[in-house]
Amino acid sequence: MSDYDAIVVGSGAGGGVAAAVLAQAGKSVLLLERGRALSFEQVGRDHLRNQRLAIYGHNAGPDIEGNPRTLDPASFPMPVGERQGEQRILRPHEPGYQNNAACVGSGTRVYAGQAWRFMPQDFRMASEYGVPAGSSLADWPISYADLLPYYERVEWEIGVCGDHRSMTHLPAYARPYPMPALPLPHKSNVHRRGLDALGWQGLRVPRLINSLPYNGRPACINCQHCVGYACPVDAKNGSHNTTIPRALQSGNCSLRTEVMVERLMCSAGGAVAGVQLITADGLRESISADVVVLSCGAVETARLLLNSATAQEPGGIGNGSDQVGRHLQGHYYPGAVGLFPEQLYDGVGPGCSLATCEFNHGNAGLIGGGMLTDEDIVTPITFWKRDYPPDVPRWGLAAKQFMRNNFRRINDIKGPVQEIPNPDARVQVNPAVRDRYGIPVAHLSGTSHPETVRTASFMRERAIEWLRASGAIKVWGRQPQQYLSGGQHQAGTCRMDEDPAHSVVDNFCRVHSQSNLFVADASPHVTNGGFNPVETIMALAWRTTEHIVANW
Amino acid sequence: MSALFDESQLRCLAALLDTLIPPDDFPGAWQAGVGDYLLRQLQGDLANLQTSYRDFLRCLDAEARCLHKRDFADLSADARSDLLHRIEKQQVTASWTIEPGEFFAQVIEHCGEGFYSDPGNGGNREGIAWQMVGFEVRG
Repeated sequence: MSDYDAIVVGSGAGGGVAAAVLAQAGKSVLLLERGRALSFEQVGRDHLRNQRLAIYGHNAGPDIEGNPRTLDPASFPMPVGERQGEQRILRPHEPGYQNNAACVGSGTRVYAGQAWRFMPQDFRMASEYGVPAGSSLADWPISYADLLPYYERVEWEIGVCGDHRSMTHLPAYARPYPMPALPLPHKSNVHRRGLDALGWQGLRVPRLINSLPYNGRPACINCQHCVGYACPVDAKNGSHNTTIPRALQSGNCSLRTEVMVERLMCSAGGAVAGVQLITADGLRESISADVVVLSCGAVETARLLLNSATAQEPGGIGNGSDQVGRHLQGHYYPGAVGLFPEQLYDGVGPGCSLATCEFNHGNAGLIGGGMLTDEDIVTPITFWKRDYPPDVPRWGLAAKQFMRNNFRRINDIKGPVQEIPNPDARVQVNPAVRDRYGIPVAHLSGTSHPETVRTASFMRERAIEWLRASGAIKVWGRQPQQYLSGGQHQAGTCRMDEDPAHSVVDNFCRVHSQSNLFVADASPHVTNGGFNPVETIMALAWRTTEHIVANW
Repeated sequence: MSALFDESQLRCLAALLDTLIPPDDFPGAWQAGVGDYLLRQLQGDLANLQTSYRDFLRCLDAEARCLHKRDFADLSADARSDLLHRIEKQQVTASWTIEPGEFFAQVIEHCGEGFYSDPGNGGNREGIAWQMVGFEVRG
């Protein structure tokens, strides 16, 4: 008799859905989270330590000490972290670490909640474009139609606002969104002008935010601290206030925080027996379950599988074909900043509201593309650190006056590029470097595929075009470089396919070598769309967990 | 007074920060609390830079005395600005015990952080920098 029917490791977008679907189906569930449950006040509004600007740390974990990763210096153009021989040792807030929040809800506690469905073409990139040299581009084994019912569930049960009629890049919606789009800030009228001048189709950014009271929580109050921070009125819909409370209210789910899973326990015969975890006090516990679901994010899920090597699978669980940890991808975010003659800023948050999908596909000579959108309200220090024009003095009266005169006249346009997977962009484990629990850390190496950089350069040009057509009098922004991508949109490290020779999980995200081990995060994503991936992570987790329950 | 800097170092620091973000009809860096931000950070995230800051301030005064026979804080605003432009370009006369341009670039960043980030970090007193740029926090 196992301790639990199911253990879910990680309480982010995928783990929350997995815990809720299992618990509501009557299964006893243990949901494990390495971080803490954070109140609004605990997340705080530190402009130097948040998930948007992490100069000195994060507001939603992980702690900057005791959670290192190592990086191949060739993977990042800048000298980040601390050089130690042939590797760099990074702390979670340092560039190149590929951080995801560590708290109950993980990134959903502090995200922007952009709620995009991937496009039908995003699931068949190899068929649409062919496979460029040096890439592992492939089709998903499932289609848009397979995920569609789950996209709708996410939109209705977790709560998305938007305007389905504006989503003309997708097949027509059978169900509208349950809530109308958020009010448009003034800057969107300016950006709309540009879209109209260019003849580009604009659409309202769907978001996991209550635009009306929904699910017993109030509507957005249009504050100025959305992306990177917690919502002051709990109008932002994440795992912490939707799926996890539902799992707990079923009476079938226990949540344990500040516990780190060290390894999976395997029984003979291709099944996992449970997990071995370490508590904050350093105590080891073994907990058994009939099913284990990994929702740790693309870096940590791969790390856990690799750290769970057995005599049968000496290279790590599910790694018989040397696929675990490969194809790491995220999103390049090319774009540009524009200075306008008039004030754009009216303080109406969250801010990001108007997008175009003109360039997600069908760009001559390119593989895929991406969505472009305006940006949530940018804090003054984030502007000063990230968006300041390179040709304006950075100190002296001129610098102060530039900030004073122009902070409200500036906006940026940018968007996620669909990355072309590189099998050498990967997560391995590094036994020579341990975290605070003594567990070998993730080692990151490889870079993006050159096609990703090429598409990013193209999208940057489109952002500039949009800004200029909207009336920007000065435009600036960095050219994309080649580096290892991942970040908060990290994906791809446990590729999904029916053929175990080229993948880690099957069409229902079950690890090929184990009858009862599943992955519910972005690790199974074969490609990651030209969109924020969270709605796809939630939808895929829903499909996976429903399959687990149906086949119990 | 502070345990980190003596009186003359603090005077130099204030003049340095006020050259980076000078007062106009809005306060300069020092009055806006950037010094408080920095003193706090130098006992926190930037504790490893305590010695470098002291070195930089000492060399900055030495440079001012070398060129103008006066402490940095006693120079006119224009002279302070000119001197910092020279430092930015590594054009120094005194004997520096710290790499001048590289450390100066860090000081610029710290000064901006103290001025433009949230008052909870110790600078941007009463949100004065946010009033200046027009960043209003409602809700």
